[in-house]
Amino acid sequence: MTRRSLLLAAAGAAGCGGNRARRLNVFNWSEYVAPETISNFEREFRVRVRYATYESAEEMLAKASTGNSGWDVVFPSNSYIQPMASAGLLARLDHKRLPNLAELEPFFQSPPWDASLSWSVPYMHSSTGIVYDASVSPPPVGWRDFLSERFRGRVTMLDDPNEVIGACLKQLGYSLNSCDPAQLAQARNLALEQKRHLRAYLNAEVREQLVAGDVLMAQLWATTAQIGIDARPSLTYVYPIEGFALYADCAVILRESDRVELAHEFINYLLRPQVSARIAAAMRTATPSAGARRLLPPSLRNNPTLYPPPETLARGEWFTALPPAGQRLRDRIWTEIKTA
Amino acid sequence: MKRALALYAVAAYAFLHAPLLILAAFSFNRSRYTVWTSFSLDWYRAAFRDHQLREGAWNSILIAVTATTISTAVGALFAYGLWKRRSRWLSASLYLSLITPEIVTGVSLLAFYQWIFQFWRLHLGMCTVVFAHVSFCIAYVVLVVAARLRGFDPGLEDAALDLGATEWGIFWHVVLPYLKPGILAAALLAFTVSIDDYVITSLVAGVDSQTLPMVIYAMARRGVNPVVNAVSSVIVFGLGAMILISERLRAS
Amino acid sequence: MNRVRAIALTPGAAVIVVLFLIPLAITCAYSALTRGAYFGLGPPWTADNYRRLADPLYGMVFLRSFALAAASTAICFLLGFPLAVFIARSGRRKNLYLHLVILPFWTSQLVRIYAWMFLLRETGLANGILQALGIIRAPLPLLYNDGAVLLGLVYAHLPFMVLPLYAALERLDPNLLEASADLGARPWTTLSRVMLPLAAPGIRAGAVLVFVPCLGAFLVPDLLGGGKSIMIGTVIQNQFTTARDWPFGAAMSLVVMVIVLVLLWVGAGRRGEDLL
Repeated sequence: MTRRSLLLAAAGAAGCGGNRARRLNVFNWSEYVAPETISNFEREFRVRVRYATYESAEEMLAKASTGNSGWDVVFPSNSYIQPMASAGLLARLDHKRLPNLAELEPFFQSPPWDASLSWSVPYMHSSTGIVYDASVSPPPVGWRDFLSERFRGRVTMLDDPNEVIGACLKQLGYSLNSCDPAQLAQARNLALEQKRHLRAYLNAEVREQLVAGDVLMAQLWATTAQIGIDARPSLTYVYPIEGFALYADCAVILRESDRVELAHEFINYLLRPQVSARIAAAMRTATPSAGARRLLPPSLRNNPTLYPPPETLARGEWFTALPPAGQRLRDRIWTEIKTA
Repeated sequence: MKRALALYAVAAYAFLHAPLLILAAFSFNRSRYTVWTSFSLDWYRAAFRDHQLREGAWNSILIAVTATTISTAVGALFAYGLWKRRSRWLSASLYLSLITPEIVTGVSLLAFYQWIFQFWRLHLGMCTVVFAHVSFCIAYVVLVVAARLRGFDPGLEDAALDLGATEWGIFWHVVLPYLKPGILAAALLAFTVSIDDYVITSLVAGVDSQTLPMVIYAMARRGVNPVVNAVSSVIVFGLGAMILISERLRAS
Repeated sequence: MNRVRAIALTPGAAVIVVLFLIPLAITCAYSALTRGAYFGLGPPWTADNYRRLADPLYGMVFLRSFALAAASTAICFLLGFPLAVFIARSGRRKNLYLHLVILPFWTSQLVRIYAWMFLLRETGLANGILQALGIIRAPLPLLYNDGAVLLGLVYAHLPFMVLPLYAALERLDPNLLEASADLGARPWTTLSRVMLPLAAPGIRAGAVLVFVPCLGAFLVPDLLGGGKSIMIGTVIQNQFTTARDWPFGAAMSLVVMVIVLVLLWVGAGRRGEDLL
């Protein structure tokens, strides 16, 4: 071995040894933290954070359910919390390490999917509604407008079976999470009829088409819609009159993690009003934290898209976990809808 | 005939390169939409500053080079071995690996790794990605090299044997030079397939092994993003320049 | 000869067994298990997943995908063959032209798909140019239909046809073509009676390398087709993601794989040669 390679090897070993700085691996949805959120945390707690993003809950689930994905904190939607907990994937939360839980709104301190917050901490919440351009007249009021001839080829719906089937179920007056075969069959027929007018099934990429004017009306999440409205003020978001879906993304700690204390510190940091407010302002998300909401500028605090009044909110329904038979039925219906 | 062919080639290359050239043109656009506003390098600055992109690019290249080297070496040898000694089940396995949908390959490899990790305390990481890439690249390599091998005259081998060459000598001095264009084509194919893979990589990548397709997919999934245009332009023009230079060097 | 052959075969065989056959066995095992309560899977062992596949709905999806993949392969061949001939006969510049074919494909396939969406949108460049030239009044719906999907598939897989064709054509002795011309054959006859048969291994390799990925594609149909018409690749993808029914997805992919394998073997058998 030459002297040079020995020196290099020593330097490498020293480098490895020196990297004893604390690490935390966080896997979150994209566009869900402000630019400085993570770096501020790193600086304050002298930690290196590996922060990566995903586009779909299933992508995260496929990794998390292996039991050695390497991630410490992930952000599933509320309907996944109980299934993940039952499957033993989550670490129980220690409330003594999460004093900032008190900042949450009363509803989110005891949400229906995790009444004692033993597994999850609500992070951001949102809804699914309709966003449309001012040139649409008369303006749409609900899912029924997706059946209207006047939008032929200029409307889109989300490329997600639960969202599309959910919207149809709501239009028929049923529950969002229904697994009744008869109700689902009716929803399917409605979706097939709707499909004739549809331009495409698009997720977040429709935002750009709305801003460009290619699409007149779309089924979209409130957060994404708000960013579109910022870019093109002639867009408006409306909560459908027949009812709509609500969901919340929650922070959980995976049981495989061996950095549980640090993970708690991170979640507690996210619960700080200033931090949560900064994220909500930068990314146009809706924060479940009362303390954070007070810190928002009035234009955001009372923004009807992100924080609808209670009467509107009452028409909403939270997604819940579905039993396997219902899941299977919905998947078949989704294939039928797509094949038509 | 030759002129018609050349004209056709120009049209074909235009078809292949036009979308990216247009993306590159618009990557210099100040506005993020199709409307041209003014010339600007903002998006390139943003791309270079984005440390996720830098890391993703580095990981992608590292993985692609490693996987291409391994799969080309192993695959070329394998094609040679299969050439005389046809093995039904090995050929069938190779085809199976080609016709498996990517999602299935990804999931089955993930399950396989999970099973192995029960015995050794390991994590998903660069190695798992490299092995996954080798597993699907090797079929492409074998296919291309085998197609090349079909035109090889077995008489040459016999002649070399008669002249007293060793088995290894025959492979090294007779067969390998003949295979070179095929191996080059196979390596190019393997590199392309590896550097562009999204589905399998995203399933088996570890915490530290984000690749460029994964980063770009996340950015592009949210709509047109000129930073993505800038990145792809850099890749295409950078690589293009490298190739032109290497051709110039070779010709001189 | 056997020693070198054995050494040559071993590493490849090891890769195939460890990184492909064993995971395949695991997939077969998955296809006979049952979906877990919300995700994952476990016992009991069941043939239920295969029984569910007998549904004509899935047969229709498969036929559609098959037709689209076959069309893409045919078009790739028609477009790729002349290009491969050109490259193979371009003397010193061979490598340069070869690299130029591959170059666009070193960017992310998603970027290339978005480039086409950028071009084909109603407010995109293609419509913009056509309208500016006065050829059309209102924008054409070039995106979110089967034509766009076909275009995307052909574009994405053209190099996979050109490269194997090139590899086979490169060793084609130009003297053979000259001889054929000297003997009075017209260019078309030279093409069909001399060139094509000699390039046959390359054509077969290219056809496989294009047809199979097209059959299992889901990014292009989803993005360029607007998610409106589903291909078998998307259905399988859905099983592993939205539906979280891994056993069913595994069963479906195994059936698709078997069908394709049978088709390939039948195709090869008729010619009486091994595909490799």
